[in-house]
Formats: sequence, structure tokens, C-alpha cells
Amino acid sequence: MLKIQNLCKSFGAIKATDNVSLSIDQGTIHALIGPNGAGKTTLISQLSGYMQPNSGTITFNGFDLLTLPAHKRPHAGLVRSFQITSVFPELTVLDNICLVLQSMCGQAQSIFRMAKADLSERNEAQEILNRVGLGDKANSLTGNLSHGQKRQVEIAMALATKPKLLLLDEPMAGMGAEESRQIMTLLNTLRTSVTMLLVEHDMDVVFKLADKISVLVYGRVVASDTPENIRKNQDVQEAYLGGNELNPKVKRC
Amino acid sequence: MKYTHHTRFLIGCLLALILLPWLFHATDSSYLVSTFTRLIIFAIAAVSLDLLIGYTGLVSFGHAAFLGVGAYTVGILSFHAYEETTFLGLPGTLSGLTAIPLAVLLSALVALIIGALSLRTKGVYFIMITLSFGQMLFFLFVSLEQYGGDDGMMMFDGRNTLPGLDLNDRVEFYYFCLTWFTLFFLFCTRLVRSKFGRTLAAIRQNEDRLSSIGINEYWAKLQIFVIAGIGAGLAGALSANHTEFISPDITHWTRSGDLMIVVILGGMGTLIGPVLGTFLFLLLEEFLPLILHSFGFDLLSEHWRFVFGPILILVVLYAKSGLYGMIFRKGG
Repeated sequence: MLKIQNLCKSFGAIKATDNVSLSIDQGTIHALIGPNGAGKTTLISQLSGYMQPNSGTITFNGFDLLTLPAHKRPHAGLVRSFQITSVFPELTVLDNICLVLQSMCGQAQSIFRMAKADLSERNEAQEILNRVGLGDKANSLTGNLSHGQKRQVEIAMALATKPKLLLLDEPMAGMGAEESRQIMTLLNTLRTSVTMLLVEHDMDVVFKLADKISVLVYGRVVASDTPENIRKNQDVQEAYLGGNELNPKVKRC
Repeated sequence: MKYTHHTRFLIGCLLALILLPWLFHATDSSYLVSTFTRLIIFAIAAVSLDLLIGYTGLVSFGHAAFLGVGAYTVGILSFHAYEETTFLGLPGTLSGLTAIPLAVLLSALVALIIGALSLRTKGVYFIMITLSFGQMLFFLFVSLEQYGGDDGMMMFDGRNTLPGLDLNDRVEFYYFCLTWFTLFFLFCTRLVRSKFGRTLAAIRQNEDRLSSIGINEYWAKLQIFVIAGIGAGLAGALSANHTEFISPDITHWTRSGDLMIVVILGGMGTLIGPVLGTFLFLLLEEFLPLILHSFGFDLLSEHWRFVFGPILILVVLYAKSGLYGMIFRKGG
């Protein structure tokens, strides 16, 4: 479904994405793990169009993604969520979702449709909120929610786009245990309809959900395999146990 | 609850504005009709600027440019009608049915060009680039020797003509402007509550998030920039008709500054606020010297800005969300 080939992105001398090739199969949950600073978010940003790579190709359903501007990618079915919560704080939770829905219907610039009058849109938004467990917060200002609840809004916004491929950048970071479990269940039920690239630090979540895991270290994919094989992999253990810092296999420059 | 509160206030204000000419006539102070015409025209421009500053978070410092485009369109057409010459092969006209729509159309066009370029920048750069475009137009108008250069030009034939309406009549012109003001205000009320209005609020709050939910924020911003330009262009066309005199001063950056002050003074992100701000600002400007004089402060009366400035600062400091906040937030 998504094919990344020889992708490179550097900031000065630092190679944040170093010749990455990955492919994500339809209907799978593909987890991306790696230590801090490995370039996971940078990769997501290139997939979602927030950054342009220096070289390499990305194809999405056989279509060259790099020619598509960021704001058109959600309409093609490729949607990201943010690691650092990014919501619209002065809108109600419901309006955050409605905003996404109106965008997907091509009505973001409609002057003559009143925002609060579109009942089917509001019902749909309420339903999405119920699914992520925020149904009772629909009319609160998003800025007044707890951090964990804002994370849920973030996921609800991503779902509202009806994505084909969902790029989840640490969706559970900062959530309470209860919410985290709820989101995990939700992602699990979505797996039949939505393909996912999941960046996550919580290994329990990763190993429970993922069909395939890729490990990113200093911008390079050091392993890409099934969860069982990743667990046994020597390179991965070194990356996580800090082995590569004592005996650097990967050059930084 | 708050909604009906607003509506009642607005209807009250509108009724007062409709009745004003009678009041002035009765108290033998008909010249005040002209003052209030000026207020209403300026309020149109202020409301249009607030669509950018208050609703979208775009601090445009060149809004007077569109006032100028509107005013000069009306002025140049009138000039050629008087001289019986042509402009680029086209005859001049005094007809309001041609001049005013053309003024609005040209403002929209200029807003489209300025917007398309300026909106590529953000934050402070956007403020500076809109300021520069405003000043560019100012110097363009100064350089138009044929149309009076920096002295400006008179509309010797008087105001635009309209079928069934005599704009040269003070009271009829007042109602003409009030009608446009009301229409524009109602349009904006709808606009900010529309789906597009919600997109604008989203741009103000978290611009970078929009492309990830499939919204092209550049087009949305350009659209509102053009709408605001249309509002100011309309105000410019009315203003030219009001004073029957057009000079580059109308596009000077201090005029853009006045518009910004009025918006902030009245309360950003509300439609009533800029109107209240305009009224306070222009009425103080008009009457503060007289008031000070009548209290015997002759020196201050001459340097009335010395009092004017602190009043504005106090309002902005102590009234949260400006005059609007003073009136509507206290009662809850």
C-alpha cells in the first residue's frame, strides 16, 4: 500500500532519515520503534507532507506521493496524528471533529452553510467521539480537557477523516492507563478497515498490536520483521540497551 | 441568553442610527448627520479588518490600501466625467451603478494580488509586507500628478448619481451608507457563523494543523483577505462620495493604524466591537478638543492627542476584549 524507497533527509550534518526503505501492506498494523532521536517523527512528517525529503521516493497505492501537497494527502486517505498534541483549543470538542468532517466534504470554505446547523455532521461527530470515549465531553472547550483527553481528541480527528492509512505518532503518549486501553481496543477493532503505521514507545502496546515491526536507529532501518523475530534480534537489543553507543556500528555523519 | 442580549442591543443601535437624522433635525444640529455618516463608513472598514485580525489572526497593517483603491476608482471616474476625457479609452462616469461596483471589484482584485503575495509570509513578516504594500499604493497615488498628486482631487460634479436617490442630499446619503453598513454587518454575522467561519477560527488557533486535516489554509486565508478587501473598498467608495475629495492620505499607513486601533479598542474577534471602537475613536477625535476647550483647558485642547492617547491606553488595559468586553462580559 505504501512503499518508501531510499528515502534520505538530513539537517546539516545529521542524517535524520538515512536511506530508508520500507513497505507497509494493506490491512496490517506496522509498528515503528526506535530510541529517542531515531528519526521516527521526521519520517512521519515526510509521509504526511510536512517535510520534503532530500531524495528517495514514496508511493501510496502506486501513486507518487511526493508530488501531492500536504493538504491533499488526507483526501487521498493518508492521515497523521501528532505526537505533540495539536488541537483547536478554543473550539468545542465537537467542533474540532466537525471541522475535520467539513473539510473532508469539501465544505471548509463554505460561507452559506451555517456551522451549527448541519445536524447530520454533528451526529456523525458525536458518534466518533463516543467511539474514542469522549462522548460526554462533546460540548467542552478542547483547551479545558486534560492532557490524556486531548490525546483522544487527536485520535478522533484522525478517525474523522476516514483514513485508509493512518500514521499514528505515539498516540498513547501521556494517556492514563484506562484511556490507553480503550484506544488500544479501538485500534484493534479498526485493523480490518484501516492500515496503520504506529510509532509507539510502549512495548506492550507494540507487541500486542503490530503485525510487523521496523526498528529505526539514527535514521536507519536496522530491522524489519515480525514481532517474534524482532524480539530475538541482536541489533535491536543493542540499540535498546545502548550497545551501539559503546561500540558504534552506525556512523552519525 | 447571550445571543438574544446581543440581538436586542444591535436592534437598539440600528433603531437609534435610523432615528438620528430626525433627532439632529429637531435639535437644529443637522451638520452632525455628516459626522455620523463618516462614522458609519469607517465602521464598515473596521469590521472588515476585524475579519482578518480578530477572526483569522492575520494582522494586516495595510488595510487602508483598499480604502484608497475604492476611493480613487470613484474619484478618477468622476474626474474624467467632469473633464469629458477618457481613461485608457474608457469614458468617466458619475453613475453610482457603475462607479461603486467597479470600485468594489477593483478592491477585490488588488486584495487578491496583495493577498496572494503577502500570505506566503507569517507573523511579523506578514505585518511588514502588508504595511509595505499599503505604502506602495500610497506613493503610487502621490505620483498621479493628473489626479492632483499629493494634494488630491475634488469631485467637482458632486457625488455619484443613482436612480431614485439623491446622494447629494445629506440625509439620503446617510441612509444610503447605513443600508450598506447594515448589509455588510449582516453578511459578516453569517460569515463568522458559517463553516468557513469555523475554518477561520481554526486558522487563528492552530494554523499548522490544518493541512493535516485536508484544509488548504492558504486559499482560506486568501478568500477572507479578498472579502475584507471588498469591505474596505466599499468603505473607500462611500468615503470618496462623502467628502467629495480624494487624496493619498486615505491610504497612508497611519490610516491603517487607526483602523487597527479601532479594532483593538472595540474588541477583536467580535463584530460589534469594531463598530463601538470606531464610534468612540472618531467621536473623541471630533469632540475631545471642544470638550477640553469648554472646560477651560486651552493648551490641552490644542494638544488634545495628549489626552486622547492615555484614554485609548486605559481602555485597552482595563477593559478585557475592549469596549465589547466592558458592555457584554460584566453582566455575564
